[in-house]
Amino acid sequence: MAALTEALASRRIAVCVGSGGVGKTTVAAAIALERALAGGRALVCTIDPARRLANALGLSTLGNVESAVPAERFAAAGLRPRGELSAMMLDVKRTWDDLVARHAPDEAARDRILANRLYQQMSAVLAGSQEYMAMEKLYELATDRDYDLVVLDTPPTAHALDFLEAPTRMLDFLGNESARLLLAPAIGAGRVSLRLAQLSGGYLAKVLARFTGAQVLADLGELLASFHGMYEGFKRRAAAVRALLGQPEVGFVVVSSPAMASIDEARAFHERLRAEGMPLAGLVANRVTPDLWGDAPLPSPGDLASALGAAGGGDGDLARRLAEGLAEHQALARADAVALERLFSAAPGLPRAVVPRLEEDVHDLAGLARMAERI
Amino acid sequence: MAAPTLLDRRLVVVTGKGGVGKSTVASALALLAVRAGKRVLVCEVNAQERVAPLLGAPPAGAREREALPGLFTVNVTPPEAMREYGLMVLRFRAIYAAVFENRVMRYFLKAIPSLAELVMIGKILHEVRKAGSDGRPRWDLVVVDAPSTGHAIQLLRVPSALLDTVPPGPLQHSARWMHDLLVDPERTAVALVTLPEEMPVNETLELDAALRSVVGIVPTTLFVNAMPANRFAPGEESRLATLAGERAPVGPAATAARLQSIRARLAAEQVARVRAALDLPTGLLPLLPLADWGRAALERIAAAIDAAPPSREPWPR
Repeated sequence: MAALTEALASRRIAVCVGSGGVGKTTVAAAIALERALAGGRALVCTIDPARRLANALGLSTLGNVESAVPAERFAAAGLRPRGELSAMMLDVKRTWDDLVARHAPDEAARDRILANRLYQQMSAVLAGSQEYMAMEKLYELATDRDYDLVVLDTPPTAHALDFLEAPTRMLDFLGNESARLLLAPAIGAGRVSLRLAQLSGGYLAKVLARFTGAQVLADLGELLASFHGMYEGFKRRAAAVRALLGQPEVGFVVVSSPAMASIDEARAFHERLRAEGMPLAGLVANRVTPDLWGDAPLPSPGDLASALGAAGGGDGDLARRLAEGLAEHQALARADAVALERLFSAAPGLPRAVVPRLEEDVHDLAGLARMAERI
Repeated sequence: MAAPTLLDRRLVVVTGKGGVGKSTVASALALLAVRAGKRVLVCEVNAQERVAPLLGAPPAGAREREALPGLFTVNVTPPEAMREYGLMVLRFRAIYAAVFENRVMRYFLKAIPSLAELVMIGKILHEVRKAGSDGRPRWDLVVVDAPSTGHAIQLLRVPSALLDTVPPGPLQHSARWMHDLLVDPERTAVALVTLPEEMPVNETLELDAALRSVVGIVPTTLFVNAMPANRFAPGEESRLATLAGERAPVGPAATAARLQSIRARLAAEQVARVRAALDLPTGLLPLLPLADWGRAALERIAAAIDAAPPSREPWPR
C-alpha cells in the first residue's frame, strides 16, 4: 500500500487543501474511491468539479445532495468496489440557510435573516464565507452520518490563513457588539444616520452616507440584531468544528502541482497547519512530469537515427524531432524535480505521493482508480 | 511595433483564473511597453508581489518603486488605498484619522460590501489620470495584474454598481469618470489569460460573459499561456506508441514524444474551443521548461508576443 493511503487508513476525515488549479478535486475523489474499493463507505464533498469528473461521479445531475455512485459506473470501469462511494457538491448558500434555520429561535427570526439583503450578498461577497460553510458541512457529515471516510475538497483560497480563520472572522463580523449597539436600536434608515451623526460631529454620518447610503446601514443593523440571539449557538458550533479538525481521526492532505506558485502556497499551508497543531496526513504532488531518461547525456539525433534504423527504419526528421522532444521532456521533468524538492524538504518524514501528469484529464472512474493507485 | 492595439492604450487589465500566468503576461507586456519608450506602472492588487521579483527587483510594497528604468511596480492594498482615497475626499489628515481610524468605523468599512474594491480601483484609475511634473501624464501605460476571475469582476464592477445605487454627489461623480475610463476601448484594454486546459477555459468563458454582462466591458485580447510544442502530427501517435516499446534510446524518446503529442492535441482542442466561443485576437505563448521563473523567462514570453502579436488568424504559427 502506498504511504499516503496507509497514513489515511485510520482516519475518518480527510481534508484536501492547496491552491487552485492543482487538481485538488480529483485527488479528493481518488482518495474516497480508494477507500470504497478497499471496502469502506466513503463520501467526497467537492466544491467545483470539472465537468468530466462530475460526470464520472454522477454529479452532473445530482448536485448538492449526497448520492451513491451507481454500480453500473463501476462495472463500466471494470471496478468491483467492496464498499460504497458517494459524492456531493457543496452549496454555500444552502448551507448558510440550513445553519440559520437550525439556530434561529423561531420562524419569524429565520425569515427575517433569510430576507435580509446583506445576508443574501454575504455568501458571495464576504471573504471566508465559502471556507466557513465547507467546514460547517464537514462537521454535519462527520457527526450526523456514518461514513467510514469523508473527504472534503476545499475552496481555492487566496491565502493559506483564510481557511482556518474564516469561521472566527465571520463570527467577529456577525457578533460585533459595538456595531450592534450602535445600529440595533435605530433600524429606520433616517435614525441610523442620526445616531451616527451624534458619534463624531457629523463627519462620520456624512462619510458613511457618501460611501453607502443609509439603507445599507439599516440592513446591517437589522442583520446584527437578528443574529444577536443566535450568536452563542454559532460560536459553540464553530468551536466544535475547530475542535473536530484537531482530532487524530482527521488527516489534512496538502495538494500541489509543480508550479512554483502552488508549491509556495502548499508550503504555507503545511507550515500553518503544523503551527496550529492540525493533524497532517501527507503531501500530494500532482501533474508531475515523469523522469524518462535520468541524468545520463541525452541521445543526439544521430544516436536516435541509427537506433531507429535498427528498430525497423525511420527518417532523419523523426530522429531529430524525437531528440528535441526528449530533451524538452527531460527539461520539464528536471524543473518539476527541483520544485518537488522544495516542497518535500519543507516536510521531512511526512508521507508523500507523486502523481504523474496523466495523458488526459480524469474523465471516468477507471482514470480515477489509476490515480488512486499512485496515492 | 508589437501588439500596438494593446500597448497603445493607457490602461491594460490582465485577468484570468488563478495560476494561469497573469503576472507573467502583465510583466511581459510592461517590458514590451518600456522597450517602446513608455513610462509604465504595473499595479498588483492586494497580492503576494510577483512582478518585481520576476523582474529581479525587490518588492515595491504600497508605494511605487522603479524595478527597471521606466518600469515601476506597486502593490495596491486596501488600507493604503483607503488612506489615499480618504485623504483625497476629506482633504485633512486630522479628519481622516477621526473617521478612518475610529474602531467602529473600521468595522463598518470592512462590513460594507465592495468598499475595499472601490478604493483600490479608484487608486489604480487615478494613476491613469495623474499628471507628472512635466505636465504629461505621469504614466504612458498602467498595467494591472488583476486578481483572478471572481475577484476581478468584483473589482471592475464597483464603478457601475455605484452609478446604479448612489445619489448624485461627489461619489457618483467619481463613479462616473471611473466607469467611463474602464469601458472606453480607446483608453482601456482587458486581456484575458488562460491555459489550454478544460477548467481554465471554462473559467475564461465565464469571465468573458461576466465582464460583458456585469461590468459592461468587452475584452480586447486573449492569451493562451503554456502552449506545448507541436512536433508530431496526430497521425503519428500510433507509431509512437509502437516505438515506445523499444529499448533506449528509442523507447523513452518515443514515450516522451507520445506524451507531448497527446498534450499538444488536447491543448489544440481547448484553443479551438475557446476561440470558437470568444472570437478575440489571440496570442499563443510557449510552455517553457524552466524551474526558475525570472527575467530571462519574461524576455522569452515578451519575445513570443512581439514575434506573433495576438491575432484572429486561425493558427498563428
